[in-house]
Amino acid sequence: MKNRLRVLRAEKNWSQADLAERLEVSRQSVNAIETGKFDPSLPLAFRLARLFEMTIEQIFTDDGST
Amino acid sequence: MWCTKSAAERVYLVRTLISMSIYVLVTAIVSWIFAHRHPQGALVYLLAVLPALPIFAVIASLGKYLVEEKDEFVRTVLVQCSLWATAVVLAFATCLGSLQKYVPSVNKSPGLQNYWVFVVWFLAFAAAQPLVRWRYK
Repeated sequence: MKNRLRVLRAEKNWSQADLAERLEVSRQSVNAIETGKFDPSLPLAFRLARLFEMTIEQIFTDDGST
Repeated sequence: MWCTKSAAERVYLVRTLISMSIYVLVTAIVSWIFAHRHPQGALVYLLAVLPALPIFAVIASLGKYLVEEKDEFVRTVLVQCSLWATAVVLAFATCLGSLQKYVPSVNKSPGLQNYWVFVVWFLAFAAAQPLVRWRYK
């Protein structure tokens, strides 16, 4: 699943560690989600959406691979 | 490094360290008793079971950590590592079983005994962690 997390994080001038702290997850989790190698659960996707004040669809794009 | 770990992970590490210490201690004591006191009867079975009990504690500690850890990515990594470790240990036990059956000298080798299975699982579990995490980079 593709996402715009890296761009959105850069716009806020946050490091991966900053975002991880706000989400209460590890920095490796943020990196794995950003690279598209780990798809977050629905609750974590909602937390991300709330944090960036967007909808889940504005952050994540279903590339139809799964 | 310690401060970057979650509260659940710190508790898990303490629990596992205690369980592993008890495992090593009990295994050493039981080995000494078998070597020097030559127990007989029901006591032999009781002593043989004792080193296996802390193994339940180690696995229960991992299970409790999987419940308590809030980071779903960490949970995913842990589950994959435990599967890798299980695959390694099953392969090891299968190879060991074949060797013990068809190569008589293996049975006399102290380095190749069934009680190493748990140690192999634990080492494989630890070794799998950086490899599994590397796949997500």
